[in-house]
Formats: sequence, structure tokens, C-alpha cells
Amino acid sequence: MNRELLASQKESSGIVLDPRTKLAVLITVAVFILGGSYEGMMQYYIIVLAAIPLLLLLAAKKWKGSILYIVIFSGSLCLEMFGLSRLTGVANYIAVAIVGILLRFTPSVVMGYFVVTTTTVSEFVAAMERLHLPQQITIPMSVMFRFFPTVAEEWSAIGDAMRMRGVRFGGGKAGAILEYRMVPMMICSVKIGEELSQAALTRGLGGPVKRTNICKLGFHAQDILFLLICIGAFAAQIYVLAVRG
Amino acid sequence: MNNKLQGKDLINIGIFTAIYFIVIFAAASIGFIPIFIPLISVIVPLVGGIPMMLFFSKIKKFGMLTICGVLLGIIMLLTGMGYWCIPTGLIFGLISDFMLKSCDYKNAKRGVLTHGVFSMWVIGAFIPIVVTRDAYYQSLLPGYGQEYADTLMAYMPDWILPVLLVASFVSGLVGGLIGRKIFKKHFERAGIV
Amino acid sequence: MEVIECRDVSFSYPANGLPNGEKQDSGALKHISCTIEDGTFVLLCGASGCGKTTMTRLFNGLIPHYHEGVYDGSVFLDGKDTREMTLFDISLKVGSVFQNPRSQFFNVDTTSELAFGPENHGMAEDIVRERVSHVAAQLKLEPLLDRSIFSLSGGEKQKIACGSAAAVDPDIYVLDEPSSNLDTYAIADFRLLLSALKAQGKTVIISEHRLYYLSGLFDRVLYLKDGKIEGDYTAEEFCGLPAGQRETMGLRPLDLAGLSELEGQPQRGNGDVWTITDFSFAYKHEPETLHIEKAIFPSGGATAIIGHNGAGKSTFARCLCGLEKRCRGMVRDGSRTYSRKERLKLCYMVMQDVNHQLFTESVLDEILLSMKNEDKQRAREILDGMDLLPYEDCHPMGLSGGQKQRVAVASAIASDRPLILFDEPTSGLDLFHMRQVAGVVNQVADAGKTALVVTHDPEFILRCCNYVLHLENGQIQESYSIEDSEGRKHLLNFFLNDTAQAALSGDCTAIHLVEKEVSTK
Repeated sequence: MNRELLASQKESSGIVLDPRTKLAVLITVAVFILGGSYEGMMQYYIIVLAAIPLLLLLAAKKWKGSILYIVIFSGSLCLEMFGLSRLTGVANYIAVAIVGILLRFTPSVVMGYFVVTTTTVSEFVAAMERLHLPQQITIPMSVMFRFFPTVAEEWSAIGDAMRMRGVRFGGGKAGAILEYRMVPMMICSVKIGEELSQAALTRGLGGPVKRTNICKLGFHAQDILFLLICIGAFAAQIYVLAVRG
Repeated sequence: MNNKLQGKDLINIGIFTAIYFIVIFAAASIGFIPIFIPLISVIVPLVGGIPMMLFFSKIKKFGMLTICGVLLGIIMLLTGMGYWCIPTGLIFGLISDFMLKSCDYKNAKRGVLTHGVFSMWVIGAFIPIVVTRDAYYQSLLPGYGQEYADTLMAYMPDWILPVLLVASFVSGLVGGLIGRKIFKKHFERAGIV
Repeated sequence: MEVIECRDVSFSYPANGLPNGEKQDSGALKHISCTIEDGTFVLLCGASGCGKTTMTRLFNGLIPHYHEGVYDGSVFLDGKDTREMTLFDISLKVGSVFQNPRSQFFNVDTTSELAFGPENHGMAEDIVRERVSHVAAQLKLEPLLDRSIFSLSGGEKQKIACGSAAAVDPDIYVLDEPSSNLDTYAIADFRLLLSALKAQGKTVIISEHRLYYLSGLFDRVLYLKDGKIEGDYTAEEFCGLPAGQRETMGLRPLDLAGLSELEGQPQRGNGDVWTITDFSFAYKHEPETLHIEKAIFPSGGATAIIGHNGAGKSTFARCLCGLEKRCRGMVRDGSRTYSRKERLKLCYMVMQDVNHQLFTESVLDEILLSMKNEDKQRAREILDGMDLLPYEDCHPMGLSGGQKQRVAVASAIASDRPLILFDEPTSGLDLFHMRQVAGVVNQVADAGKTALVVTHDPEFILRCCNYVLHLENGQIQESYSIEDSEGRKHLLNFFLNDTAQAALSGDCTAIHLVEKEVSTK
């Protein structure tokens, strides 16, 4: 029953990090690995960055994810180093594309996976508030995270109904199937949304005062360590650029 | 009427962003096979039109699409697709907001056009692949040589980004039309508008 | 002192251009004037569409600040016109609890939900924390703290909803049919929470169909009919009304024991039975939630499936329909055995939320979709039998709740399947609509099909069912016929005991670990 994009209940996550730290790592990984910095010392720093999600996953005892990550990442790395030159033509193009995409995206996706499975919605929203994002963004954001599991529930309930009624793909009715599934889902979601609005407004949401938040956040030693690694990555990149002139 | 976004509007943004994201996420699953990734720029706008046209009917104030775009960018960041969708979501959301405002939130045809523009936010997901591919090929250079890297560049030429942008716009228009059709056929008659 | 005053209030919702005229006037209020004194417990009752819910919206400010419509007259809270207040101001005075436990949470964990109101009012963090623990202690919610709301039962959700309303410490509580989705035990438990609010001297206004669990709590009853206050009773006056009169007013009984006088259903079926053997189901990596060695229910006729929340009723129904791939076991009628995939074509479930199973753009299409070979003639006959023929061209989603349910039943009949399941078809229904659904189930059973009904509603069972399967902890606890008065008494005892048990225990943790050995003798 894991349909949540952010957790609703706190679980032990191994290395406990502030959501802001997690975001900083996520962004750093995105900038340098997804963004593809391979110059000079960056190619070594990237290995460090790619190791962070693995370290976090292992500490959180997410064995499956860790193994998958190791296999995909090291597999693509090997392929890039030894396999690509042996392929020619279209096969080569496809392999280059796949390897390139996997190498770049996997660390970022895995880091994202770590963030969404170990952060609760309250923590995330509290972090966003601490980062001074306006209420116009934090309120819709909490609704959105609240709503993902609900929409997913509706989606699967409708899927059940379709199976039971014998409405299936095939017979050139793909368009109709999509319609059958999307329309009730949206009608139900909109209705739930209306009720949610009413409940939230009668509890004083959207008033003229600034909301408070009881979620406890704070930086610890481990946060500082990870933040330093992130800052180090930017510093190294600047250095590399400076040397190149 | 008060033009500032109220609690009700903010909640609506959250709800529709969630619906929209789930719909496009389900549709974009095809992109998990890496070579189909460019197709995402066509599929997402195509199916996204259905929830978006319903969302547009609830929009009466400026800023809702901008916020929606930014939120989409934030989820994309969380799902590991990089941060480029935050600026693209912001920019195309903002333009879309202006487009809807200029017709006083009443013109259905403008809605379709707006959806085309809004859909271009997906380009943010391609920026890391396309813009930084030079660096990637450069990294291959030591092992494979310049000639090889040049051949690779030819596979993904510079003009791919504008092409994807146009593709997402056009299929956004088609998606908007589909959404409009579904809207009339179902949502209006079901009385949820 | 009066806290609420309505002065000649009229309200009507905007006509949204729906094809069926029924809805247009529904819920409108006409010239309502009343005052409610501080500290009274007021029950709003009346048939669906009488304006109960609209009344609650006047008090919590959703009218005029959320729902648009034609609004005349004024409502005063502590002497202030609600028009001149914002929803934010009102939310400090009035706490609201709504009908649907699924949709009234803004947060995904319980503690944040309790803190939500105080946070919105910008109270300092330590004060908010104090409020949360205070409310949790007062309403006995501690075992529910720090949980995901997606893991709570309906009853637990409603208690958290109350707690969330109570966290800002309002003087007035407005509840709109809070018991609709709860079982008898959870309802009895919820009653304890209401009595705690009453004991604090709060003003409570509750709109309800199920009256039995509120007797002894309410001080005053407002009976609404067609948007007007038709009766204004004290508790004594209301309880003193002859039972027959409350029934003609369209109200549910004040006392479940009175149901023992209902007559049983005629014998149905031809003696054949459905047999279920070795039925088991478990979620991945979890212990079995369903384990049935053998269950038998009559073929033809209607069978009720009862049991507490979490007993496995819905899982059982889903397994029977073949919706759960992980379910093992056999289903047999007299002649043959049905595999899981075959059961997908054998059974038809009318879901609790019928919105999930209506796909097409018109009622007629909906029926045709269910038919193996589309036959408009036959489809219209079926619609006619369900009083739906005038709506054949309407969009199914635009119909009223009862009509939608009948569309689903009609398409079940059109599918020509022998087993038709109903999942909680009467939650939130008033007397009239409950009887209407009972009529529909009877119609299905009389047509020679087997109806299975998952329900918490004793009166409904007595009005349409022949047989009872009682599930507890994923197993069949007992099964018996209620065609005779002995069986009916047995059934009522189950529901009555439940109420008594909850009142005795007075402990909210018990909701989860419902006593199994409720003596039914």
C-alpha cells in the first residue's frame, strides 16, 4: 500500500537528515551528475556524489534499492568503459543513449527516492516554510502531497470496477478506456477536493495571520557534513572553470 | 471580487496539480524505456489536457497556473528529474496565466491555446539530456576519439530542443481539444463545473 | 444566553442546469428563524434534502462564505452577523465535523491534523503542542497520535476530526452526519466522545439520520421538512412521540430494540446453495486477513454479511468477485466450481462509492455497456423497473446518489450475472432511501438472483435479507437464517450488544481490538 509520494508516518531512516539538507544534496546531485560535469577533478568528485545516495539507502536498510542502484550504476559504467566501442550503427546509438541516460539519471532518481520515502509531508512543508517559500506555494503543496494517495486510491478503485464490468483494452477502444478511467477519477477527486476545502477552511486555513508549524527541524553534525560535501562540489567546479579560464 | 488568491483557490491548485501529475505520470511511464524519452514531450501534453481543461474552468484569478507550474517543477526535482522544470514551469505557467487573464477567464478557445503553451514546461525534463550532452560526449573523448564523438553529436543535433518544444506545444493544442471535448461530454453534464 | 440566532433565513443553491429537476430545490431553506441557547445539544433531523446540511453550513459560515446561492436574512453568532465575519473568524468560535471521514483531513498524519487549526491561527509552537496533548488527553485520542491517517479506520478518523475541531477550543460544534460511515461499535464509541463535549458545556449541533445513538444526549430536536422547521421539541417531547409518528416523519428509530417487531422475508431460493471452501487472503508480507474453511449461503435470496470494521467483510466481497489476485480458494454452486477469473464474470459488485463504476455519458449507455449483446429494448425494460427510464439520456454522474446507485444495480441486472454484491449500500441514507434500497435488493432477490449485502444497518438487513454470514477476524463466526423470529432476535442482539460493549469499555483503543466473544445468547 505504498502510494504516497512523501511519507505520512515517520519511520527510522538510518542517517537522520534535515529535509533542507536532503534537498541540497538532491540539487547538488542534479547539478553535477545530471548536468554532466566531467572535467578535471570533477570526474572524481562525481563518484563521491554518486556514493551519497547509496550510503543513505544502506543506512536506511533499504537493501533492495541499494542493490538495484549498484547494479544499474556500475553496469552502465562498465558498459561505457568497455562495451560501447564494440557496438556499431543503430545498436551503438541506442546503447550510448541508454548508458548516458542511466548514468546521469540514476543517482538523482535514487536520491529522490530516498528523500520521498524518508521525509514526511509535515517535515517537507515545514522545511519549505523555513526556506521562506510563500504560503501561496506551501499550502497547495501540502494539499498536493495529501492528495496523491487519495487520487491513487480512486484510480485503483475505478480499475477494479472496470475489471469487474469486463471493460478491457483491445478491440480498438483504447480511447474509450482512457475516458472511462479518467472521467470518474476526476469527478470523484474534484468532489473530494470540494469537501477537503470546506474542512480546511472551517479550521481557519488561509487566514490573515502567518501559520506556525509544530514540526521540529534542525541541523545536526551529519547535516553539516553533507552540506560541506555539497559546497565542496560547487567549489571544485568553480576551481575547474577558473583553471580553464 | 477579491483578486488575491484565497484558501479555496490554493487548495484547488493543490488538487489539480496532484490529479494532473498522476495522470501524466501514468502516461509517461513509457519513458522508462530510455529510447522513448523524447515521446514524453508528446504524450504528456496529450493526456494532460483532460485534467487541465477542467482546472482552467475553475481558474478565475491570476497566479494559479504559475504556482501549478512551480509545484510540478518541485515534484520533478523530487522524482530525480533535475531542477530545470522549476524555471520552465514558472515561465510557461506565468505566460499561461497572462493568456487566461487577457480573456477574462472566459474564452474556451483561448483555453486550448493556453494549454499548448503551458505544456511546454515539460521541456525542462529534456534540458539535462540535450543541453549538457556535449559534456557527456567530451567525457567519452579520451577513450573513443573525436571522430566518434562527432558521429554521436549528429544523432542528437542542436535543433532537437526547439523541435521538442514545438512538439509539446502542438500536442498540447491537441490535448486541449481532447480535454475540451471530454469537458463538454462529461464534466459539464455531470454538474461538477 | 443565546449563542446562535437565525433571523428569517432563506437560502437556495444555484440551479446548475442539471437535467433532473429533483436536485434543484434540494437542501434549500425557507424563512428559518430560531435561537440556540449556550450549552444545548441540538439534534437536526429530517429526510434527505430537507435542509439539515444547509443549516449546519449556516452555522459554520460555509454559507455565505463558501457556497454560492441566494441568501436572505441573517445568522448571528454571539450577536455578530456571520456576513461580517470571515471564515477565519468563525473558525475560532465554531468547530466542524463532516460526513465523509476520507475527505476532511488536510494533513496525512494525525498529530499534524490536531495541530492544524491552532497552526492556522498562528499560535506559538509550544502553545500548539500543549493544545494537541490537551485535546488528545481530554478526548482519549492518545493511542491515535503520530499515525498515518491512511491507516485509520472510519471511526478513528471521525474521532480525530472531532479532536481537530476541538483543538482551537471553540464554543460551538457543528457535526454533519458524522456516523454515516461507522459501524455500530464505532458509533457507540463516538457517542462517548460527544458526551465528553456535552459534559464540557459546549453547544453541539448535530445533523443525523441515525438517532438511536444520540438518545440521552440531545436536549432539543429541530425537525426539518422541505426547508422549514416543522417541529421544535425538547428531548422529553421528542422521545414521548409515539414511534409511529416518528416513522411517518421519515425518521429512523430511537431504539434498535424496537426493530424486533419487523417481519421476516418470505422464503426464497430453491434450496440450492453456494459453497465457499478454503478461502484465504493475505497482503504481501503480511499475515492472513481472511481465512474461511467453509461458508455456505443460499442460492437465490439475500444474504447479509456482518461483522465489525476490520473483520474482513470487504476483503471477502472482493475475493468473491475475483478482484484479489492473491486470494486462494474455491467457489461452487450446485453444478460447478468457479476459478478466480471466472468469478470476475460471475459476480457484480455495487460499490460503496458508486461513482467509481459509472463510466459512460448516459444512463442508457451504462446499461448497454454491461450487456453481452446490446439490446436497447431490454435495457429500457430494466431501466423502467428501476424507475430510471425518464433519465435514460442523463449523464449518470449528474444524478442524485440514490439514482446513481440504482443505475449501478440496473447495469448489474443487465449483466445477467447470478451473484450481485452490495458494499454498504445504505451508509448515510435516511429512512425513505434506506427502504428504497431494501426494495431494490428485494427486487434482485425475487428475480432469482443471489444478493449479498455487506452492511452495518440492522433495520436494512431485516427489511430484505434471508440469511446472515457473520465474519470476525477474517473467519466465519456464525451463519444463520433470519427467516424465523429466532434468527432475527439473534441478529438484533449482536447489534445491541455492540452498543452496550462500547459504552462499558469507554476506551478508544478498544475500537481496534473489538472483543470477539460478544455473548449473543
